[in-house]
Amino acid sequence: MTAPWNDGIREFVLAFADDEHLMGQQHAEWIGVAPFLEEDLAFCSIGQDELGHAASLYALVAGEGDGGEVDDRAIDALAFDSDPTRWRSCHLVEMPTPDWAHALVRHWLYDAAEELRWQLVAESALEPLAEAAIRADREEWFHRRHADGLLDVLLSDPEAGPRLQAALVDLLPIAVGLFAPVAGEAAAVDADVAAAPFDTRLPVWANRIRDRFAIDAIVPGVDAACSGRTIRSEHFEPMLSRMREVLVLDPAAVW
Amino acid sequence: MGRTWSSMDEFEAFLDGGGIVEVDDDMPDAYRTAVFAFIEMHANSELMGGLTERDWIPRTPGLRHKMSVLAKTQDEIGHGHLLYMVAADLGLKTRREMLEDLFAGKSKFHNVFHYRAKTWGDQVAISFLVDAAALASQQAVFKNCSYGPYRRILKRIIAEEGFHMRMGEERMLLIAEGTEFQRRMFQQSIDDWWWPALQLFGPDSKPDDVLLRWHIKSERNEVLRARWVQKFAPMLASYGFTVPDPGLTHDPETDTWTAGPIDWEPLKRTLAQGGPDSARRIGEAAANWDATRWVRDALDEAPDRAAGVPA
Repeated sequence: MTAPWNDGIREFVLAFADDEHLMGQQHAEWIGVAPFLEEDLAFCSIGQDELGHAASLYALVAGEGDGGEVDDRAIDALAFDSDPTRWRSCHLVEMPTPDWAHALVRHWLYDAAEELRWQLVAESALEPLAEAAIRADREEWFHRRHADGLLDVLLSDPEAGPRLQAALVDLLPIAVGLFAPVAGEAAAVDADVAAAPFDTRLPVWANRIRDRFAIDAIVPGVDAACSGRTIRSEHFEPMLSRMREVLVLDPAAVW
Repeated sequence: MGRTWSSMDEFEAFLDGGGIVEVDDDMPDAYRTAVFAFIEMHANSELMGGLTERDWIPRTPGLRHKMSVLAKTQDEIGHGHLLYMVAADLGLKTRREMLEDLFAGKSKFHNVFHYRAKTWGDQVAISFLVDAAALASQQAVFKNCSYGPYRRILKRIIAEEGFHMRMGEERMLLIAEGTEFQRRMFQQSIDDWWWPALQLFGPDSKPDDVLLRWHIKSERNEVLRARWVQKFAPMLASYGFTVPDPGLTHDPETDTWTAGPIDWEPLKRTLAQGGPDSARRIGEAAANWDATRWVRDALDEAPDRAAGVPA
């Protein structure tokens, strides 16, 4: 049986890859500067997992549905593409979080949504994507447990709790953009690559937020301006420049 | 309580006979202090090495390559994590006290991490030259180290450092066979990192060095340094790079490479926290430590909160 593949499915998988890549990139920024050594190691592990997911998804895109024979150069051509119009990342993963409260809350918000996202492709007609979902599910359980373990303790602290709640208020309007669909999502759903549009899971995510943070958070709807994920945030260009800093030194070089 | 010794002579005879000291032994205070200071500096160096490398992780030129570099830095911080536990068990300072002394500029770490990685070439040079120097030192300690907990941790550290050095070597080979731009960049990195890496071994060991006498270290600094020069000088030359040592000599009869006179002033400056990047490195680490204090405080107070103890 031929694997389903078309431009819409490509865009759908690419958006997932971009989110995973940039989330991994952001977590990597915390190595060595987290509040204590165990957290340095945890953020680093989680960052590596997300980058690994991104590599699998970019390989699927580069291999038009079959990432098995794709080499690193093809992956990097997507992961370091200089053309901002190529990217489909959500704004949550493009923004820096110099404060650890924001980093932790983003980690929780992202992974709570990521679980729902992988579930939608767990029985994908695109078999390599379904296989990636099974692998990711095992890792993501640890990610959620990590974030929850910290929040279990910190949210009840008189100083830490308000910091984290404030971070949630800041991040929530941006985080909801995770659910913003790309135009190609409809094609992915039509081809049974995804079981349903991602934003159908938004109410589940919103309930988890209310349970986790014990507040009556108003989770906004997906911003129409983000629709299609074709608009890059102000943070994207500096981030991409930083990621490409070595690559642009000499286009002929292999590092 | 473990074993006791009635005198330093008896303790030293035990060490000379290949005895291994364990944490619950009633070791002489001077030994405890010496082995603690040695492990604390090693732990600090692993952590500060991770901080030196982390500057370039987000700029790593390749997605899977970035995963490898992240894993390497995770190893370094993980080594620090293990070593701080081994040091803390000696009962002289807690881990937090060691970290706070480090960020206050009160304790030492290896000279090389007082320098800044300014280019990607530097990042590769650290992995290639510096990790090799650190590995050589650690292997020499592991070979015959009298303090058991440290020796056991070193086994794992050495295994991982071996991977790091090989990763650096592979990356160096890509550069050596790469473009003119890459080769020029890496030559500059060799020029900048050769001497700090060589100085990592320290000046010649003193005759009365207690680290040698108590079998904490098993080889003299000058022996390790000479062995490193013997390996890396010809290797770099064979790839067409120049070693920035005008006094470097090669004896064709014995195929021995010998470094020229060494200026130890840069090493002394780093030991006094006066290296080229010391102020920034320590200052940023201290500022970050302070900015994240609320997390540690909240976790410290969590058991009391759970037990209902008023703040």
